[in-house]
Amino acid sequence: MNEQAPLLELTGVRAAYGPIQVLHGVDLRVHPGSVVALLGPNGGGKSTTMKVCAGLLPLTGGELRLAGRRVNGITAQDAARLGICSIPEGRGVFPNLTVRENLWAATGTGARLADLEEAAYTRFPILGERRHQLAGSLSGGQQQMLALSRALGTDPVILLLDELSMGLAPMIVTRMYETVAQLVAEGLSVLVAEQFARAVLPIADTAALMLHGRVVASGRPGDIEDQLSSSYLGG
Amino acid sequence: MTSFLTFTILGLVLGAVYAIAASGLVLTYTTSGIFNFAHGAQAMLGTFLYWQLTYGWGWPMWLSLVVVVGLAGPAMGALLHMLIMRGLRETADVTKIVVTVAIMLGMVYLSQWIWHPEEARVTEMFFGANAKIELGGVVVRVHELVCLVVAVAVAIGLRLLFTRTRAGVVMRGAVDDPDLLRLNGHDPDRIAMLSWAMGSTLAVLAGILVTPIGGGALEANQLTLLVIDAFAAAMFGRLRSIPRTFTGAMVLGMTATYVMAYFPTDWTWAGNLRVSLPMIILFVVLIVLPQDRLRVAAVRTRERYRPPTPRSAAVWGAALVAAVFLLALLLDDGSITTFALGMTFAIVALSLTLLTGYAGELNLAPLSFGAVATITGFHFGVTGSGLASRLTLWGVLLAVLVTAVVGGLVALPALRLRGLYLALATMAFGVFLSNMVLRDTTEHTLFGVTFSIFPNGTLIVPPLQVGPFDLRDPRTLLMTATVLFALIGVGLAALRASGYGRRLAAMKDSPAAAAMLGQNLVKLKFGVFMLSAAIAGLGGLLMASAGGSVSGDNFAIMSSLALVMLTVVGGIGYISGALFGGLVSGVGFTIMVGTFNDLATAHPSMESIYKTIGQLLVVATALIGMGVGKNPSGTVHDIVEGYRTLRGARALLAGAAAVEAVLYGLALTGVIGNWWFAILTACLVMALPVAGRMRAAAPVRRTPPELAGVAEPYSDELRERLDRELGLPARERMAKEASVHAVA
Ligand SMILES: Nc1ncnc2c1ncn2[C@@H]1O[C@H](COP(=O)(O)OP(=O)(O)OP(=O)(O)O)[C@@H](O)[C@H]1O
Ligand SMILES: [Mg+2]
Repeated sequence: MNEQAPLLELTGVRAAYGPIQVLHGVDLRVHPGSVVALLGPNGGGKSTTMKVCAGLLPLTGGELRLAGRRVNGITAQDAARLGICSIPEGRGVFPNLTVRENLWAATGTGARLADLEEAAYTRFPILGERRHQLAGSLSGGQQQMLALSRALGTDPVILLLDELSMGLAPMIVTRMYETVAQLVAEGLSVLVAEQFARAVLPIADTAALMLHGRVVASGRPGDIEDQLSSSYLGG
Repeated sequence: MTSFLTFTILGLVLGAVYAIAASGLVLTYTTSGIFNFAHGAQAMLGTFLYWQLTYGWGWPMWLSLVVVVGLAGPAMGALLHMLIMRGLRETADVTKIVVTVAIMLGMVYLSQWIWHPEEARVTEMFFGANAKIELGGVVVRVHELVCLVVAVAVAIGLRLLFTRTRAGVVMRGAVDDPDLLRLNGHDPDRIAMLSWAMGSTLAVLAGILVTPIGGGALEANQLTLLVIDAFAAAMFGRLRSIPRTFTGAMVLGMTATYVMAYFPTDWTWAGNLRVSLPMIILFVVLIVLPQDRLRVAAVRTRERYRPPTPRSAAVWGAALVAAVFLLALLLDDGSITTFALGMTFAIVALSLTLLTGYAGELNLAPLSFGAVATITGFHFGVTGSGLASRLTLWGVLLAVLVTAVVGGLVALPALRLRGLYLALATMAFGVFLSNMVLRDTTEHTLFGVTFSIFPNGTLIVPPLQVGPFDLRDPRTLLMTATVLFALIGVGLAALRASGYGRRLAAMKDSPAAAAMLGQNLVKLKFGVFMLSAAIAGLGGLLMASAGGSVSGDNFAIMSSLALVMLTVVGGIGYISGALFGGLVSGVGFTIMVGTFNDLATAHPSMESIYKTIGQLLVVATALIGMGVGKNPSGTVHDIVEGYRTLRGARALLAGAAAVEAVLYGLALTGVIGNWWFAILTACLVMALPVAGRMRAAAPVRRTPPELAGVAEPYSDELRERLDRELGLPARERMAKEASVHAVA
């Protein structure tokens, strides 16, 4: 599988918030149909890497390639239209729009509302029941379901998931990752950032460990898990 | 019964116009989070343009309607968004408010320049004032019907837009999270631009519809304020709900009409009440409606201030007094009086430094508090009569005290309010005071005492006399005002450095966090508001007595807004920012226009050019106000940053001081004129930072901040540099405390 060209490739990527540089040369590849787990402690730069991939934060150095093409400086809306579906940390929904309106807003990439609604309501029937409720008044788990629904109906090429498990009960996390696993089985590639490795490692093909704005190790999930504990304990 | 119906319909028509204007306001607020104070001014500009096309150039009415409503309106909104509003993301409420206020003032100045205010301009009703229809016994003008129909169409159109179209849904999402919108493949800038274009069109439409109803000639200030009345309607819908905004507008329109119709004619104040009714309603609505919850996270904004230590403030205060004294030797009596007037404005501006710069709350009507003090001083603080009359020290103290109490009373109901809402409440108070109190020139009899609040429309406020100090002498006046400014400034710096000041700063940065730490926010706000009102009162009373006489116009809301804007331009977190704002808004305009008018009279061949330059300068002050969006920390901040490079450049500074001393000597002996002195001094001041930068430009490739201290020792100097680059407050005190702990 590794002979294939990577779908998403970061080489020596640097990025900064104002004067503070946060990424100091990140190397990362996501191959078609694979799941890459980005692990690491708080402040390691996972979310920042995700923002760079989604086009929300410009690179200050290095290269971002999408399907082999250099796309440094791409805007988030163009990235979305090219098939990068990014679900940001914590708040992937518009709280003041209803469930249905959230799905409607998600059609900005060219999908049809009817398709999106069908995909979302079949997978998460609760959303169908609550379709006219404001997203802000849904429970945390339901909000994440809604956020994930965007990936279901818009047919993206690659899915960027940031901290899907944040603040959710373990059972719901498991269900969410089941959904992700299904999407992967249908051919989607996924880059997922998680602090807690247990939830994501079972479905991951590759894992990368991020520390202080660099990918310090990457390889088979099992190997990385061993390194992970040492890095948490002050390594 | 018929008359009741007639009045009801009139009320509905007025309400319809309010509704059109208010819905535009809601539209831009929901999509961009910016409350557009310039909304009324946009309506005003559109109406003037409509007048110009139809009556000035005689175009057919339909054509000018198409051009103004269909092209100029949307273009104005889109341009505003592209040039200015787009840059306001991640700025504090204060900055957003000030920038739109600056746009409003700029538009008013611009219209007064293009359309000279003394010429009367009238627009007529659609289909003429005599086109009437009888409906069930009630005669309605066709124009009024048009207003109603347009309002209904706007209501339905907006409803459909927001719920039935993707563009509308996306607009509603934009304010929550523009980044998420981009992740969904939308362009938030395009969406915001669309909403600004629509908002502006609605404003223009409302302006054109309302002008003939009010009757009379077009007047820029009045027309601007007329649409500002729609703020109350927008607030009914909490700036969000269009249906509630429409309801609010109708209530507003009908109440105003009924007051006019049914109040007894011998209640002389009923007319004033009608005019200020929208502001009263705005105040009440603000207080009664539930508020947004406190934001939990501190907002990351771009504003940066470095509070001065009391000691450096004292040094600078002494320097200011000395400089003003030396400068006064160069000036004649007339200029000194003008200068002193500016200094009193600067004192008023200090009230904003405390309230806005330190505590993060906004007062848009500082001069109204000055008016309260002036009225109190006039009625209770004057002894003697004629030329011998004098303001007494006790009178001044009483006036300041009363103002503080009034400030407290205004703030008390508004204490729950934050940011924009408090700003609007103070503005409502200011407009109310201008309309109700400062226009109250008739005599009342209450408990057997006959009095009038504002006799004849002008108050003659005599100068203050304390023992041998007689402020009738302009030099004494100027020096007193300067010393007072310096003293209050040093006091404020000391306050900021105290525990109280740090509590204020905590409240400003994160109200929720401050509340969780056990701060009583209500008490804090109440105290700081009273103190700030007292300072504004002192400045206002001195201003009134410096000018000799004041009219209600001196305290108009537009002047207050200009003062607020220019203080923010100077730097709201700095005492010197207040000095800048006060001097420029108090007398800067007069001097600029006066100078160029003098030049124009002196050189008749260049008259139009000089007059144009004068007007341009006035509009330009509003332009720098808009620049606040780019540089929210203020001009003073930039200058201070510029001078930072000069630290340690002793020779350069000494040389500059010597040059300045020579210039002063030349000016004092009359070798060079005052203008040359001013121009050369300005050149020197500007050139110094450039020289400093050249000196410092020696190639220092410095380590980026996050790597600092890794390969080099973590020295104090390095720590200071990090603080500076990251915009953290000075470390001195912490370092001192740390050393104390280390010893212990
Ligand atoms: N908007 C911002 N402005 C300035 N610095 C930021 C900003 N967002 C993040 N940082 C900094 O960037 C660094 C990396 O943050 P990032 O959010 O990428 O970490 P993370 O690995 O996602 O951590 P977590 O597991 O806590 O989500 C942190 O040191 C953080 O302080
Ligand atoms: Mg993160």
